[in-house]
Amino acid sequence: MKSTRQIIRQFICDNFIVSDDDFTDTDSMLDKQIIDSTGILELVAFLEEEFGIHIADEEMVPENLDTVSRICAFLACKCPDRVDQLDVVTIG
Amino acid sequence: MKRCQNCILPETFPGIRFNEAGVCNYCQAYKGNDYMEGRRAEIRAEFERLAQSFRGRGSYDCLVAYSGGKDSTYLLHMLRREYAMRVLALTMDNGFLSPQAEINMQRVTKALGIDWVVVRPRSEMLEAIFKRSLQGPLFASKSAQRGSFICMSCIGLIKFLSLRYAIELNIPFLAFGWSPGQLGYRAALMKNTPAMIRSMQRATYEPLYNVAGEEVRPFFLEERHFQAADSFPYSVAPLVFTDYNEQEILPTIERLGWERPTDTDANSSNCLLNALANQAHKQRFNYHPYDFELAQLVREGRLSRDEALARIMAEENAVIVRRVAEQLHLP
Repeated sequence: MKSTRQIIRQFICDNFIVSDDDFTDTDSMLDKQIIDSTGILELVAFLEEEFGIHIADEEMVPENLDTVSRICAFLACKCPDRVDQLDVVTIG
Repeated sequence: MKRCQNCILPETFPGIRFNEAGVCNYCQAYKGNDYMEGRRAEIRAEFERLAQSFRGRGSYDCLVAYSGGKDSTYLLHMLRREYAMRVLALTMDNGFLSPQAEINMQRVTKALGIDWVVVRPRSEMLEAIFKRSLQGPLFASKSAQRGSFICMSCIGLIKFLSLRYAIELNIPFLAFGWSPGQLGYRAALMKNTPAMIRSMQRATYEPLYNVAGEEVRPFFLEERHFQAADSFPYSVAPLVFTDYNEQEILPTIERLGWERPTDTDANSSNCLLNALANQAHKQRFNYHPYDFELAQLVREGRLSRDEALARIMAEENAVIVRRVAEQLHLP
């Protein structure tokens, strides 16, 4: 079974056509030009469907979505029963 | 070239994989029209609720980024006639509008009774940006799947210029004529927030600033805009959550006086630069910048596969490409 972190990294690699070596969990994906402005919204759609959540407009901020570790931390708050807490502890 | 048997995506498209039946991973992941329609209906209902609640609060209900192409023309019609919104149209003239597109915009805005602002940036700035866009990637590599780098540069300017106008004029909605192939349903309605826009703007502004310097500043938000959080509009792409179908769009806008330009390429109904941009993209990446958009329209049954293939295969008009290249002072 894949961890939350692995699921997110896999989506980013598949959807934004980057290698797993191209970015760390703490790299800003916007600053590193991995995700463009439209891509952020694709990421939001993926997270909502994959984790069964609704991300409110005010939650669509870089503090929640700009790095893999921030996404993991955001999901841990948003749906603690759905995510692997170890991810957050390890990389958060 | 091998292409998906269901949509049109080619084997050269980034990240593509085919199953034994020759169907691509994008088609395999597609959740079906019923699912999509359900999600779109939710967004449409939310937009209608918001539109009602904001109606009449300011001078305009909606700012439309108006290119003069068929989609944004239909969008003007829809918002004005179907939603009875007070619309301000904003056009950024990139210097390469088809003469017919200019005639179309004058006719349509007059027929619909819409106020219309045209911004004409200095040609030197645009020329520098477009030439640099031809040389190689300016933005995230993912952007190349959505369109040519010339288009991405031009649209980047238009998006933030429109947002700046909407904030300054306190207009609650900023509408774009994205087709369902150009934008996912989740992005069809969203409230812009200063924090997110600041990040998004940085990803567009910095590459363009590196090319054209201070001249790009008037097209982006400044600190005073970010402080006006209450004036940040919703971004909305109504064609994504309506029954988008070209066969129905064209007769509607033709009744407003719109005529398809004969000098643009098969995938544009307003911009002459698009042909050169497409050609450069195909040479660089070996797939068409419209592959992704048209593939999604085919997947959703909004465009026939044959028609999509015909557009992808159509050669650019060499005369127009040469004329545009000369205007850009390309060697």
